[in-house]
Amino acid sequence: MHTLSRPSKLSALLHPIGLPLMGEGLLMVVCNIVGLLKGDAWEPSLLLCACALTALGWSLNRFVPKGDMSTDRRLPYLLVTLLWLVVALFGTIPFLTTGCIRSLPDALFESMSGFTSTGATVVNDVEQLPATILLWRSATQWVGGFGIILIVLAVVPTLGINKYSLYTAEASGADAAKSTNTTRDAVRHTLSVYLLLTFFFITALRLSGLHWWEAINLTFTNISSGGFSTHNDGLSSLPHASQWLLGAAMLLSGINFTLMYDIGRLRFRNIKNKLEQLRYYIAMSACCILLTVITLHFHDGETWPTALRLGTLQGISFISTTGSLLTDTEQWWMPLLIVLMTLTLCGGMAGSTAGGLKTMRIVILLRNVRNLLRGRLHPHAVSPIRLNGHPVAPHLITNVMVIFFVYAFVMVAAACLLLLMGVPAKETIGATIGCLTGYGPGLGSCGGLGNYASMCGGAKLLLAFVMLMGRLECLTILLLFIPRFWTRR
Amino acid sequence: MSKRTAISHIRTFNFRLIYKLLGSLLMWLSAAMILPCAVSLVCHDGSQFELSISMLLMLAAGLFLHNIAGRGAAYELHEKESFWLTSLMWLLIPLLGAMPFVLSGSVNNFVDALFESVSGFTTTGSSILTNLDEVPRGVIVWRSMTQWVGGLGLIMFIIAMQRRLHVGGTHLYGAEFSGTIQRKLNPHMTTSVSLMWRVYIAMTIGLLAILLLTGNGFLNAFCITMSAVSSGGFLPSSAGLSDFSTLSLGVLTVFMLFSGINIALLYKLFTGHFADMWHDEELRLYLILFICGASAIAVSMYSACITLPSAIGRACFHVASTISTCGLVLPADTSMPTWPLLAAIITLLFIVLGASAGSTGGGLKLKRVMILFRYVQNYLLSMVHPRAVAKVKIDGRVISNEYINKVFAFVFLYMAFAAGGTLLLTDSGQPLASSICLALANLSNLGPTPLIHIADPTFCYTALPTLSKCGLIVLMLAGRIEIFALIAIFSPAYWKR
Repeated sequence: MHTLSRPSKLSALLHPIGLPLMGEGLLMVVCNIVGLLKGDAWEPSLLLCACALTALGWSLNRFVPKGDMSTDRRLPYLLVTLLWLVVALFGTIPFLTTGCIRSLPDALFESMSGFTSTGATVVNDVEQLPATILLWRSATQWVGGFGIILIVLAVVPTLGINKYSLYTAEASGADAAKSTNTTRDAVRHTLSVYLLLTFFFITALRLSGLHWWEAINLTFTNISSGGFSTHNDGLSSLPHASQWLLGAAMLLSGINFTLMYDIGRLRFRNIKNKLEQLRYYIAMSACCILLTVITLHFHDGETWPTALRLGTLQGISFISTTGSLLTDTEQWWMPLLIVLMTLTLCGGMAGSTAGGLKTMRIVILLRNVRNLLRGRLHPHAVSPIRLNGHPVAPHLITNVMVIFFVYAFVMVAAACLLLLMGVPAKETIGATIGCLTGYGPGLGSCGGLGNYASMCGGAKLLLAFVMLMGRLECLTILLLFIPRFWTRR
Repeated sequence: MSKRTAISHIRTFNFRLIYKLLGSLLMWLSAAMILPCAVSLVCHDGSQFELSISMLLMLAAGLFLHNIAGRGAAYELHEKESFWLTSLMWLLIPLLGAMPFVLSGSVNNFVDALFESVSGFTTTGSSILTNLDEVPRGVIVWRSMTQWVGGLGLIMFIIAMQRRLHVGGTHLYGAEFSGTIQRKLNPHMTTSVSLMWRVYIAMTIGLLAILLLTGNGFLNAFCITMSAVSSGGFLPSSAGLSDFSTLSLGVLTVFMLFSGINIALLYKLFTGHFADMWHDEELRLYLILFICGASAIAVSMYSACITLPSAIGRACFHVASTISTCGLVLPADTSMPTWPLLAAIITLLFIVLGASAGSTGGGLKLKRVMILFRYVQNYLLSMVHPRAVAKVKIDGRVISNEYINKVFAFVFLYMAFAAGGTLLLTDSGQPLASSICLALANLSNLGPTPLIHIADPTFCYTALPTLSKCGLIVLMLAGRIEIFALIAIFSPAYWKR
């Protein structure tokens, strides 16, 4: 278990990547075929590249021997990072081959923003994009929103025994109480809920008066808490019924999918494990909504119906880290935006498609701090932190505190680098939070209906990396930066 | 004594002792006010009457608390009382210390006066006064002295004065310096505290003497000494440091650096235990940060209009002033139209990091940051090597998990306060960037820094709305008593039995 250069370890990294790449290539072809129905032309270069990608994926899967993951504990972490990087890198093909986005940093930013379901964009005029590209953007979010869980479903069967270490790398321990015994089952349940919700919302949106095309695109981007839109003005020009439906989709995208499965199957005994997180998630959403509605009415002078609609839906968009826009939030009152951005950092539930720190971690964090404050007053009192009635294991508390600190550290480091690249302070803060949490829009020129087009290439690459950090919850990637990770011992 | 009576005895709140200690502190402070009065008499600035009134009021309050409210107090102090005492003291003393500002008419309204006073006692140095030359000299001297008193901490004052406290002293010490592992100089708390005071006083006298010898006027030298040694940052006149020679500025740089070092280590320096100093990891990090920061800033400031020596000198002064959270600013830096970006970022990072634990400075403290980074690195590696047992060590001592947890909580609270302060300031219409800089500078007790002028060169605290000023007062206090004590008394659990 020493060096990474041995062929068996290399193949352990390369073999699992084959299948996702094959799927990615096929997805590109599908997007172009659907685009044809909307009046696009064939894109020969795109199809050629897609076929080459599929072939590459197939040959990796076919000719590279299965490696053994269990020989080295570093492999799962490397694999997860590599997988996301490679998939996002090849995801730039449609943008570059059709010439919609010309520079590589821009395309990588857009692609990463899709696969991490962030929703930040560099496209100035979305409505000018060909249908193929629009669908590709939405599809990347849909695939990415389900994220590694879906990829695990494809990868895990090809692996040896080490199923669990990959899954923990993604969930970083927050989803300790799983309702099902095996990872495989959890993934299957999640996928079924995800598909069901997707079909439901597509149909519902169609019924609410949208065209199929929009219904599919918007469902893809909102159920995955992504936030790309097919319109330049976000969701603001949609009929109100569709807006409310999308609000529901966003709210659901922040809820643990296994929990929804259990509720759907009426397995209430399993629900108990997550009920408290759900309560806090709902409470935080309510808090978000209330603040926004009240501010919109009393500070910005909106009428009650408008304030209620905009406040509720945009509040949900913030807390579920979706980033769909009901209005140009950049015009909003600055203190409100700061509060909402902070709540975005808290994010949705663990095991959902939402980003951020996750509700459960926030609950544990706050209880831990409260306990410490009490402990200072009553030094001999022993009061374990409880969640859902069970004491929380000390290693989980440690995990939460470490992730919180690492989040803060990544945020500060990224902000400093962005400032050095000449991005103004307000945009820096907004962009860092927006990309790290997976919300998408930031503040200033990249906030609201604005976009990231005006930033320099370096800043875009950095932000793409920040999105990846946020999606993989920082620890996995930071690990790769520790020199001792690479040295033999 | 039966068990039940013992417990009920502990649970009764020993208010009397709290009053008594407060009273004694007030009496000492009123004694210290003799100096501003004398200065005012000598300078004929017309504020001697107001200053004497404040002095007498303080004395009266002190006498009342000490002799009447605190009569017959039992010398027994527990953790709960020490929190209350710490917080009460940090609220009450600045309140009374604000009297000279109000009475002399140099500040128009009460909140402004309180801001100035809190800024002094917490060694922040943010000032509400716009024209320092119009303010009576006596008041200026008092303003500088508040920093000196607050420098080591009001609690340290009490512990040094009240040698009868014994165990209670340790509790008090913990309440004010929550969570810094302090290397005690002596097994007896009171002895080690008085040793610290001696170091502090020696530093003060040393700097004052050097400044006088290098040809500065007494008042200027005195006020700047008070600001530098306590890592405060008030300036005595609007001319600021422009009268100071290069030599004096160099000396100031060194003393500011000292003020950010653990006082226990300075004691080792003065007693000749250099090896102990060198082996201290926090001090090493402090110096490394200073050197790296100063060289980076010097390079970024070095341009056609500034020669290299002057860039190095200015960078050293600025970094020493920032990392020790002192906040003295060179006149050249305040008027600098565009502060280099790299310099601004480094400054902001240093503001957050702060000085060494156990020094007069504020911020997160380097020791905490070191612990956190080492712990996180260990944690990450343990993901790959689950069976490896790695403990966090500082100076060869293992840091307990419980302590590490407290450090994490402290960082969280620090960030929460910073975010809250930023929110209040943006509410007042400040741009986001300068709101963050302002909140952090005051939370870390730094005070004046070129950063707060980044968005608006003419910014001054006077223009802020009252709500923002109150918010900043809370930030300064929270930064000084390291948050825990302040939150503790506002939490319901504190008042439950």
